[in-house]
Amino acid sequence: MLGFLLVVLLIPYLIAAYALLLVKLKWGLRQFGAFIVATIGLLTATFFVEAYPIIERDGLAVFLEARWDPVRESYGVIQALTGTILTSAVAIALAMPMALGVAVTINEILPARLKGIFGSLVDLTATMPTVIFGLWGLFVLGPFLHDVVNSVSRFLVGDDVMTSPYTLFTAGVLLAIMITPYAAAVIREGYALVPKPVEEAIYAMGATKFEAALIKLRYARNYILGGFFLALGRAMGETVAVAMVVGGNFSRFTTNIFESGITISSLIALQFPNAAAYQYMVPALFAGALLLTLFGLAINAVAIYIIQRGQI
Amino acid sequence: MTAKSHDRVQVVDAERQLINWLGLGLFAFLGVVAVVPLFLIISDVYIKGIDAINSLGGLWVFLTELPPTPYDESGGIGPMLVGTLYMTALGALLGIAVGFPLGVYIGEMRKEKFANVARAGVNVLVEFPTIVVGLFVYAVMSLAKEDLNRYMLGPLSNAISSLGEWTPRFIGPLDNVISLLGEWIPWFIGPLDGFNAYAGAVALTLIMIPYVALITASAYASVEQPLREAAYATAGREFNALFVVLRKAVSRAVLTAALLGTAKIAGETAPLLFTAFGNFYYAPFTGPTGAVPLWIWYAAQTPYDVQIVSAYGAAAVLLTIILTIFIIARIRG
Amino acid sequence: MAPQMFSWSRTFHRVTEGRIQVNYQSIGSGAGAAQFLEKKLDFGASDVPMPRARYEQAAGRFVQFPVIIGSIVLVYNIPELTYSKTGKYLNLTSEVISLIYMGEIKEWCDPKIKALNPGLADKLPCKEIVAVHRSDGSGTTAAFTLYLSRAYQPWNQTVGWGFTVKWPADEKAKGMGAKGNEGVAQAVLQTPYSIGYVEFAYWSKNKDKYDRVGGVSFVRNDNDGKYYFPTAENVAMGAAAGLERYKRKYGAKPAPDADWNPVSIELSNPPRGYPILAFTYVFLWKDYAAEGYGDAATKVALLKEFFRWVLTEGQKPANVVEGYIPLPPEVAKLGLEALELVKS
Repeated sequence: MLGFLLVVLLIPYLIAAYALLLVKLKWGLRQFGAFIVATIGLLTATFFVEAYPIIERDGLAVFLEARWDPVRESYGVIQALTGTILTSAVAIALAMPMALGVAVTINEILPARLKGIFGSLVDLTATMPTVIFGLWGLFVLGPFLHDVVNSVSRFLVGDDVMTSPYTLFTAGVLLAIMITPYAAAVIREGYALVPKPVEEAIYAMGATKFEAALIKLRYARNYILGGFFLALGRAMGETVAVAMVVGGNFSRFTTNIFESGITISSLIALQFPNAAAYQYMVPALFAGALLLTLFGLAINAVAIYIIQRGQI
Repeated sequence: MTAKSHDRVQVVDAERQLINWLGLGLFAFLGVVAVVPLFLIISDVYIKGIDAINSLGGLWVFLTELPPTPYDESGGIGPMLVGTLYMTALGALLGIAVGFPLGVYIGEMRKEKFANVARAGVNVLVEFPTIVVGLFVYAVMSLAKEDLNRYMLGPLSNAISSLGEWTPRFIGPLDNVISLLGEWIPWFIGPLDGFNAYAGAVALTLIMIPYVALITASAYASVEQPLREAAYATAGREFNALFVVLRKAVSRAVLTAALLGTAKIAGETAPLLFTAFGNFYYAPFTGPTGAVPLWIWYAAQTPYDVQIVSAYGAAAVLLTIILTIFIIARIRG
Repeated sequence: MAPQMFSWSRTFHRVTEGRIQVNYQSIGSGAGAAQFLEKKLDFGASDVPMPRARYEQAAGRFVQFPVIIGSIVLVYNIPELTYSKTGKYLNLTSEVISLIYMGEIKEWCDPKIKALNPGLADKLPCKEIVAVHRSDGSGTTAAFTLYLSRAYQPWNQTVGWGFTVKWPADEKAKGMGAKGNEGVAQAVLQTPYSIGYVEFAYWSKNKDKYDRVGGVSFVRNDNDGKYYFPTAENVAMGAAAGLERYKRKYGAKPAPDADWNPVSIELSNPPRGYPILAFTYVFLWKDYAAEGYGDAATKVALLKEFFRWVLTEGQKPANVVEGYIPLPPEVAKLGLEALELVKS
């Protein structure tokens, strides 16, 4: 009955919110904010309810230990959280400069005829089913990085640093390639929407193209922030492509990005289909989802704090 | 200007010019590095895909036929294409309907504390593993299905079918049309199975909402204060100010938001696994429904060549459809 | 199993001239069993029989029977010992395989491996073995680890068997996970000095590629001491021998509505033949109307028609997809008898 009521009340709620938009705009808008907050709350509550059995049995150990032994029904997901953090960090560190590069290149450097084609092709990769990215990573990127990174490391420290083509680093680089189009699409919009008068003023002051680009980027900082969170969220939530190239090592806790590892999203995607055969695996996976959610909220809280302080 | 300051200006110019070239060069380099892998993958997909479509019987066959088994020589993605089109369209419609006002709220009313809470919520929603969103919809669907069928959809489909029996008495010549409709309507409306296209569409909506919201929010947040004040001053009602007067300033970004979100959900696999389940046959949308990414997911991981190449063909078709939508939307908007 | 089920579904669709659509999706053995028990699916399929805990919940209300046989091969990548160079494949035993995945045997030049391969002993390099396993929960892993558990006692004690296990090689040596048979197949091809387990078809379709980087191994059947190469005949030999052993031990054929875990234990590591094999099981309810399915009579008729076809016509070589092995007639008969118990 509960689910039924939920579904049935949802539609009138949304219609009422729309109606409210026409009457008292701000209150109407707030309803949509309330809707999303309620949805997140419901999702988090669902995670907690599903994860409860293992929290009851093991306490906080499931969040703090690194283990995956279904035969003995013993689970811990901290290695997955570390993996998520490392791969997302690598991905964002590589993707943001690349996205800025794409945005500036398309808007400043390319001739007008190529702008549209180039831009559309970059956006197009947003639709590419991630399994194709995964296959490309499996066949092309993994071996390529394996060779390159090991050549460099043999030169620098005399030893091979990547044990196999499929490591957290590989996943991070693949993610960077995948999330760049999202950040780039957003930043491009912001960059292109810099008002004409402002652009003219910048050039009137005698700025070079590069300096103008920097000023326009600062102007579009809201878009850059939006693109950042979009890309970061995408990186943390990516399941399939990461699952195919990350190396699948659940047992060992590692902070070395050149080793095989696992992320929370890919752990859930890999283990869920057969999880129902075990007693505590489904709760453990939801515990991982809960951990990821809490971590995401923490990042957002920190970000909001920084922004309020810096008053962007 | 004396000769000395003229020299100094030139030296400064040269330095700035050098930085200019280096800086632009860096941006260009980053842009190229970002784009080369993407172009490699796209061209790989198209080369293999077009090859596949030709070897599997040509474009029309590929778009309408059932998928190939390991020893077929021809096949297609017909049922999956229909499923993707339906679920993506529904998901995009709902995603924009909810995502757009949400984005306006977050972007326009940034000063409010609740807006920041909502923004945090949206940022968190983006990072959910997509399979988890599917599981959530599955859970709600499981709870709601029985009652939904009993109280709403059952009576509704009974009403429609009895309508179909009743109207011919009044509208003679349209009899054939009505009965034809009567055959097709149960494909769309009716009691829902545990796995169905609508659950899939809802999962896709939940995934799309943050994308639309975040980009819309950036757009509205970037509106300069003077412009905003002017809009409010000239428009009279708030509604007009935000949606009519500011239209020019934000419409491009909102269009990008809608297109990007649609592109994303068209290629999603994981959220559909437990909601739409997948189907390799033409079947009503009230039951398990196929999707192109699900076929690619399955076929690309088999060891059978004919299925692997059909996956690339399917990807090429999907990319082309989305590209067409992009082009049409950008030309008109 | 998914390609075979899909192929049967399409062939049957053609045979019935489009009348009957059997929609089979690959969501995992565990999910298949769970969704079946939750009555979201009309039938379930799995690479292992219904787990005991779940069997208890529905004991006596459903039947399970095998529909096809799959097998698992061990592929390896050793640049010095490729088949194209030496013309020989490696011999391996359950003990050596277990010790590799337990991280106890760490290098290819280990004396135990040398002892099994006297002809190649001097060429075995002293490089670390990368043991590739599955990162997703999988029926292939379940069958593989069940074999190791039955054949080598220390494995049973330390690791056990299941859709996913904790691989000691991950911690103690160089272990690596890959997604899907495709992932393991590719990882072994790309990673020098690696070894991995994959379904038969993933090796046979790429035999040339594997011959260039290493090869596939002969596996010794510990019960009769002979080394077997993975072929359809050797696997079928194993299946028939396993069933025979069950009948001798329990005195009768397995009952369709009983718990099949003891059966799968006897079928694994059979007395003769290639020892690493897996059956695909199908689950059907005995009484669909009583279980609450709508339209039960039609459903039951369709299901019975489909599976009757699968167990007879479907086992003919033309309808069996490459990489899978048809059931020996005695085993297929078990399924037909199970179908008799299904009514609406």
